[in-house]
Amino acid sequence: MRRIVSIAFLAALSFAAAACGGSSTTATTTGGQALVGTFTLSPGSCSGSSPTGTYFRMITPGGSVSKGPFFSNPDSVCPDKTYTLATPGTDGGFLTGSYQPDPTPTFSSDGSSLAGRIVAPQAFTAINFGISTNPVDPQTRLSVPAPSISVSNGQLSGQIEAWSASWNNQYFNQGSPKPDGSHPGLTSPVSGTYDPTTRAYVLTWASEVVGGPFNGFTGYWHLQGIFEPRSS
Amino acid sequence: MVTTARLGGADVAGRAIATRPAGSRRSGRAYRRLSVFVIVLGAGLIAAPFAFQMFQRAPKGASMLTEFKPFMTTARLDGYQHEIAVIGAGVDQVGSSVGPYLQQAAGTASLAGAYPSYGQLASQWPAIDQKMTSLLDKVQGNLGNYRDVAALPSFSLFPWFFVIPGILMLGSGLVLLRRRRTGVVVLVAVVGLGLVLAPVAFQMFSRAPAGGHMMTAFRDIETTANVTEIQDDFSVMASGQGAIRLDIVPALESAGLSQPQIAERFPAVDALDADWIHILNDMTPMIGAMSDNVPNYQAMAALPPFALFPWFFVIPGVLLLGAAGWIGLRLPESTAGAAGATEEEKR
Repeated sequence: MRRIVSIAFLAALSFAAAACGGSSTTATTTGGQALVGTFTLSPGSCSGSSPTGTYFRMITPGGSVSKGPFFSNPDSVCPDKTYTLATPGTDGGFLTGSYQPDPTPTFSSDGSSLAGRIVAPQAFTAINFGISTNPVDPQTRLSVPAPSISVSNGQLSGQIEAWSASWNNQYFNQGSPKPDGSHPGLTSPVSGTYDPTTRAYVLTWASEVVGGPFNGFTGYWHLQGIFEPRSS
Repeated sequence: MVTTARLGGADVAGRAIATRPAGSRRSGRAYRRLSVFVIVLGAGLIAAPFAFQMFQRAPKGASMLTEFKPFMTTARLDGYQHEIAVIGAGVDQVGSSVGPYLQQAAGTASLAGAYPSYGQLASQWPAIDQKMTSLLDKVQGNLGNYRDVAALPSFSLFPWFFVIPGILMLGSGLVLLRRRRTGVVVLVAVVGLGLVLAPVAFQMFSRAPAGGHMMTAFRDIETTANVTEIQDDFSVMASGQGAIRLDIVPALESAGLSQPQIAERFPAVDALDADWIHILNDMTPMIGAMSDNVPNYQAMAALPPFALFPWFFVIPGVLLLGAAGWIGLRLPESTAGAAGATEEEKR
């Protein structure tokens, strides 16, 4: 009887804690603190010796993340056109703990993406690409969790399986791990740094494109900005 | 346990019944052998799809045919040829006309030097053009073959075309081994006839070899290496076109030409810029389909040669018909003359 009462008490306590919510950092099973909120994005910039802020590169098949060769985007504003800069979208960045789905319709008549919540659609060989996170990945049609990032000793980790690029009427999963949980090719886990004082972060990962016209290419994502905890 | 079903003068174990004539005993043995033959043939048909991994490979073939369908039309393939021609004309005009104009008007010594992405496209274009044109010619040349093979029943069903008759034959053979049944003999004949007629009904004798020709033609196209080359070529085209659109045309504007003047003086360059998004809309799904179907093609290519497929039906069908005929010819005499035959067998 005492055991049943204890279990009921713990269950009630858990329910109450969940119902109160509000806390943007919760302990994760891996021991880190979950960062729930908005990872706001600093616009990418090529003004310095190397690009800063939020940007994307695409590695051609057989290349490496550090040395390339990289796909050259003629629409890049950087001197080195292998860097495609991003500016924050209408949500200011990407959310953890919830999705930022593709709009309906997702594409304009010329195939440009209209997904603009995370980053403002950017030109890529004349056609805009956009980013979204959806409960069902539009390329693989697999269910994926909402992004989750946690911090432990200033180091970020997590999963961003739902990260989806849309371009030219097509979808390209750019998450890590991939929606089936794998890390094919150059796909690397989400990692980065976090300063709890300033809440400044840098988050990077690589994700191989599986299927479609860019099959075997790898997207390298460099996100930078300030983490804004979700308000209670 | 010994089954003692009567088989026109012999039980299933082949033991002669003393009162029956020798001819009837021989007939019984032969009959039993034929029943076993039907069983073996049925088992063979059931085993064939497993031996050829048809349950894994055939659906991939079906997927390939489905995914190629949007591209395998005369209009679409003509469109690709036109797009290659538009890119080629634009690149050529930049080299032959825009270059000299900018040299005179803006002192640009070398477009390839000033705009390396264009330079790379200009230098690689002859090879890209040849490769893409040859590929499209090959695909276009096999449009009829594709249509023929796509008109066959879905490849996903193919394993069942073996397994279902195989099960019927196996069952029939087992029944015949135990009892002579006119109905079962008829069923064997019907299955045999079906196997012979199916390839004729589905025009497999013309369509399957056409599919074989298509598979041969696509052998060099549907490879990872070829798709990677095409992806590389696409990168060069996209970069080079970007240089024309974002650097060279603005350079012409800086040299004093308005957009209408550029369109008038350099119509091929203008057409390339105007068509570029449409070209991307059209071309990248094709590259995607080619890439996605490399494993499907390989699975399909690992099946036995397409030209043999009709014979996989006809040969067992003819054998079955022969077996059924042989049994059928002897059935009334044997059952009628068999001592101890039941009324049911006589019927």
